[in-house]
This record gives sequence, structure tokens and C-alpha cells, in this order.
Amino acid sequence: MGLRAFCGDLPPRIPYWTGAVPVESLPLPQRATLLWREASPGDVGVAVGDSVQTGQNLAREGTGLFMSTVTGTVEEIDSLQGADAVEYAVVGIKTVEVDSYDSSINGIEDLANTAPEQILAMIIRAGFPGFDAVVQGATVETLIISALDQEPLTAVNAQVLLERANDVSDGIAMLSRATGAKKVVVAIPHNSAHAADDISVDQAEIVKVRATYPNGLPEILAKKQGAGLLLTTERNGTVGNTLVVSIEHLVGMVSCLREGRPFVNKIVTCCGKSGGELKNILVRIGTPVSMALDNLDVKLPPGGKLIINGPMHGYACFSDEQPMTATSDSVLVQKPAEVHRFESTACMNCGRCSAVCPVNLEVNLLGRFSEYGIFDKCAELGAENCIECGLCVYVCPARRPLLHLLAHARFVVKEETVEK
Amino acid sequence: MKAADLTVSTGSHWHSGARITDFSYNTLLALIPAIAMGLYRYGVCAAGVIGTAVASAMIAEAAMQKILGKPVRIADGSAAVSGLLLALLLPANTPAYMVVVASVIGITIGKLCFGGLGANPLSPALVGWAVLRITKPWAGYLDFDLALINYDLGFSMQYPLAVLKASGSSGLQDFNTWNLFLGNQTGGIGASAIVCVLGGGLYMIARGLVRWEIPLCFLLGVIIASCLFRLVDSAAYAGPLFHIVTGNVMIGAFFLSTDNSSAPINRWGMVAFGLCCGMITVVLRVWSVYPDGVVFACLLMSLFVPLLDKLKATPIVVRPTRAQITRKTVEGGASS
Repeated sequence: MGLRAFCGDLPPRIPYWTGAVPVESLPLPQRATLLWREASPGDVGVAVGDSVQTGQNLAREGTGLFMSTVTGTVEEIDSLQGADAVEYAVVGIKTVEVDSYDSSINGIEDLANTAPEQILAMIIRAGFPGFDAVVQGATVETLIISALDQEPLTAVNAQVLLERANDVSDGIAMLSRATGAKKVVVAIPHNSAHAADDISVDQAEIVKVRATYPNGLPEILAKKQGAGLLLTTERNGTVGNTLVVSIEHLVGMVSCLREGRPFVNKIVTCCGKSGGELKNILVRIGTPVSMALDNLDVKLPPGGKLIINGPMHGYACFSDEQPMTATSDSVLVQKPAEVHRFESTACMNCGRCSAVCPVNLEVNLLGRFSEYGIFDKCAELGAENCIECGLCVYVCPARRPLLHLLAHARFVVKEETVEK
Repeated sequence: MKAADLTVSTGSHWHSGARITDFSYNTLLALIPAIAMGLYRYGVCAAGVIGTAVASAMIAEAAMQKILGKPVRIADGSAAVSGLLLALLLPANTPAYMVVVASVIGITIGKLCFGGLGANPLSPALVGWAVLRITKPWAGYLDFDLALINYDLGFSMQYPLAVLKASGSSGLQDFNTWNLFLGNQTGGIGASAIVCVLGGGLYMIARGLVRWEIPLCFLLGVIIASCLFRLVDSAAYAGPLFHIVTGNVMIGAFFLSTDNSSAPINRWGMVAFGLCCGMITVVLRVWSVYPDGVVFACLLMSLFVPLLDKLKATPIVVRPTRAQITRKTVEGGASS
């Protein structure tokens, strides 16, 4: 490590966590907050004071699926503007200790004799995220099961791979039939290849992927292992052909279909301080992050950072009431002294950002064009391909807020494209 | 949700710890052996030239930034590096006023007029040197044979490239390649300390501050071009090894051509840039009126950097492009 720190590695090696991190269950929160992306309070079909059941669809008829993960009484319905200019509907629920489950989620006992559409519908109904494009009718050509965590300091998939590798085979068989995928790829970290022995599926291809950031990001997996585009929904329809499902969600689907229960518990890796020990907790989706901090016995340092979903491309929350969602993988607390400060320095053109960019963007130029509002040039340079991995920021010696600039450029380019 | 006292920003929330000063301070560090060799050879005169160049470059930068109303950033060390590189190219007894003129012009016209660090299309040190070189009354001061006439350092005090220019490769029998490599030759204060410069350059590459593509391809370009000339007439033209160990080639390959803002950043751009610099160097050594061509080769190629940077890897498409979205719209329209 000493020599490597002396020699400037490009790209920097940011390894994924691969050790065992035992999971501890957290009690049910007294109040759960549920977030619904790209929806307004008007789309919510329940009112303040209504009782809701676990697994109940809270969306107004015909507006999609917004599943309650707890049983209790609705206390608050509000809206929230996300950092990416997306509106969220927020529903606060006062929980009761004993869950009563919504009757529309049932187990499927004989998977082999059930129609694929029915299995898929039940998976989606159970609350697994990432199927928006499939719901809109897109075909899945490649299905990638990722056993890699997306970020460093995250040990969710690593732990699931250690604990429940034997459920993976069932899950792959079920999901590949349900989605009708022509090709199934299982991506496994190169240094835990022993797990490949436990996974035996005839139709799936097992690929060892180098366990360094950003190889676990879905866009990169879809491109490198599936040679396709990630399935995404656009305003005009769906694009892509590759569905990436994390191994945690996959074994979750197996359990849900066996037991007929919705997907309500999520493993989250917590790290109270930089260099501190990792801790995996099992929380109910909707639990505020403050409960995870209490469990770690960490006080929020004033002026510090509370980061959800990893130190590289995660987001810094403004509140410790931020709830865990179905895709929250990790919580990290930084002291004010550890917080990386951006500087208003001009680009010195060293080219490190372009050298580390996993999608070969000319970040040095994009940063400047975005800073001065020349978005036509940003579109020419392919700004929409930025996956916001944060590596350019990580290496920038001038400490420019490159991710901010590129994300802005991407947003504007996308808006303009849709308008045309 | 109630806002807490927290810092909010976009990612990444980690940083590698790299700073702008890494580049300049490590360049200064890497050049210390070459400076030491210059001081050992030429004594206090060399110290005077180096001191004048560095001081005037830094003062010029600070004054100019004050005048332009920009934040004064001389602490980033880039002006000091420009001044030092300029000094290392000059003969030890260059008059102080020439050194001041070169570094002030290099910093002001070469750098700050274009917007400062990162925006300069040409390396400030090279601009300063070129101004001296093409100013006719001062030409004698940059002719190493005339400038260093009063020194006797125990080896041939003829500038190898001038000998080559005057009498072809047959005149080079006095020069031993290994001795030239060890720095036993006249030339710029630091540029002639070939082995020291090479060591410093390898240090910069090891630290990841200079990418290996440009220096390697620079030297490769020199080898290719000199071999081609050698094929035509081996009596008139010197071999590749002689070209590499004389004049400014070594300092040019590792320090002059790799200036961040006046060099390409994409791999194949850097390869083309390095090869062209090296080949043009030899062409200028053979056909121009000046014995050495490194600086002009670097300056010339720096002008092509925006073009060379077009030699880039195509962005990997991970998101639908405009065309794909439009196609989807058309398909959607047709089906509905």
C-alpha cells in the first residue's frame, strides 16, 4: 500500500468489501417514512388517519405501485424535492408492532407450473425495485445477477453471498423464467470465487469481476458483462435490454415467493466513522437513518456529512430523518474534518479525470463547458453517458466539483433532447 | 423532514488527496539533482541565473494577478517551475536582464494573458526562451561556445550540437556517448546534466505526475527520425544515441513537453504529440539555423494540442443517445 500510495495509480484502486459482516436486526421504528419517486401527494390513494397494512398499495387507482412496508396509521402526506429535480411523495406512518399483511400478495408454491407472467407480476407486486421498464413492456434480453456491492464500505451483497449462496440457484431459475431473459450472467467478485461452487445453474454464465470500484455499478455491469444498455424508462418509452438485479434482491424474491410476504426488510451496512468497523443491520424499509445511528452509538457531528449509498456516488442527506428505501445499501458518517471541500480553482488540464473515467468522457472539457453554460458542446461530448461514479472528483488535484458540473450538464442535455 | 446541521454536496465524498501543488513541488524536487550538477559545474553564476529566473517569474505572476484583479496564486508553485525550467536551459553566465526579460515575458504573455494556469496554450518557460533565442542582438549569449568560453571543466568545451552542425558526424570523434550521458558536456545549466534529468523524470513518472506516453514517444521520435537520416547518409548525420544524450532532448522529453496545459491528455494524442516533438527536434537540428530544436519542436506541437486531443477513445454509451430516444418516439408514434 505504501508503494502504491507513492506511485499515483490511475485508475485508483478502491476495493470493495469482501469479508463477513454479520447482520443484526433492528426493532420496528415507531414512525416509518415512505418515499415514492416521481410522484406527487395527489397520487397517494390514502388519507391522513387511514389504517394501512403491510404490503398494501398506497397509490391511487391507476397510478402504479407504492407499497406500504409497515402496518399502522397514516400521519402525514407531503412532498419533497430531490437533489435531481425529481419530486417525491412522502407518507409518514405511525406503526403498530404486529404486522397484518395485505391479501393480494401470495406465495407461489409450484413455480415450475406457474405462468412466467404471473411470477413476474408477483415479484413486482412484492415491492422489488428496478422493474419499471419491464412493467412498461420492455423485453429483457440479458439478466445480470450482481453479487458485487456498488460501493466501497458496503457489505450487503458480500454478506448475502456468504450466507445464502444456495438460494441463488433457485432465484436465477425463477427470475430468468419470469423475465424470459435469453442470457443470464452471474457477476461474482474475483476474490470470493469459492462462492461460484455453491451456485450451480445450467443456463447461467458465472463471471468473475475484479472487486474494485466502479465495476459493481449497474451501468458498467450491463456494458461490460452483458454488452448492452441498462433498462431504463424515459419519458417516451423504455430503452435498453439488460436488467441488473442485486443478489440481495434475488434471494429476497425467493423468500417472498415462498412465504407470500412483501419485500420489507433491507440489509444496510453502517460505518460510524472513517476507518471504523462495518456493521450490517436489517431494517424495515422506511426506518429513519437516525435509528441506525443510535444503534451504532454515533452522534451526528455538527457540520459533518451523513452519506447514504456509499462514499463515491452516494448522496449526502440534509436530515437524519431520511428513511431507508429498498435501494439503500449503506450509511456513512463523516466528521467535519473529513468532509472533502471543493475549491473554485480553474482546471489545470492534467487529464486525470479523463484517464479514470469508466465511460471515456473528456471530463476536463465537459467540466469547463458546463461551468460556462455551453451545453451544445456538452451534448457533442456525450455528457448524457456520465454515470456519476465520482471518480473524476476523487482524483482531481484542483478539487473541482466535477460531478456537480457533469450531472448538471447531463440534466440540461436530457431536458433539451426531450423537448426536441 | 427536519433539516439537521449537516454538510450537503454531490459526490464523491472521498478524495485521493491530490493537490495542484503536487505537480509543481515534485517537479522542483525532481530537478534538484540537475540544479546541483549545474551549481557544481558553473558555481555562483548558475545560482544567479536560477535565482533571478525563479524570482522574476514569481514576482511577475503575483504582480500581474494583482493588476488583473485575480486571486494571487503564486503559492501553487507553477511560476517557480516555469522560472526554473527557463534557467536550466540557459548558459550559466546569461546576463540578469535577459533572464528577467525572458521570465517576465514567459509568465505574462505566455501564461497570464491566456488566463493563467491551465489555460496557457504554450509552456511559459519555452515562450521566454524562444523570445531570447530569436532576439538577434542577444544571439551570442545563447551560443554555448561563446557564452562559456571562459570555463574549463576538464572535458571538451565545445557544444556537441554546434560541432555536429559545423562538421557533420565525422567531427564527433572527440565525444564519448557515455561521457555525454553522464553530463560531461557544455550546455544549459541543468539541461546538460542528462543523467540527473533522466532520474528526475523517472521520479515524476513513478509518482504518476508525468504520464509515460509523452517522454517515451518523444525519445522514440528522436530515434526514428535520426535513424531515417542515418539511412540516407551515415557520414553526415549523427546516430540516435548521440541525439538523445545531447542538448535539451532529455529535459524536453520529461519536463518541457509534459507541461500540463500545453500537452494533450488522451493516450493516442500524447503518443502522436511525443513522436512529432521528437521527430521535429531532429529535423530542426539537421535543417534549421539553430543547433538544437527541442524548444521550437515543443512550441510548434503545443499549437496542435486541440487537434491532437481529438484522438480520443469514443465515449462508452451507457445511456440512450438522442438518436435512440427519437427513434423510440417514432416507434411509439407508429404503434399508437
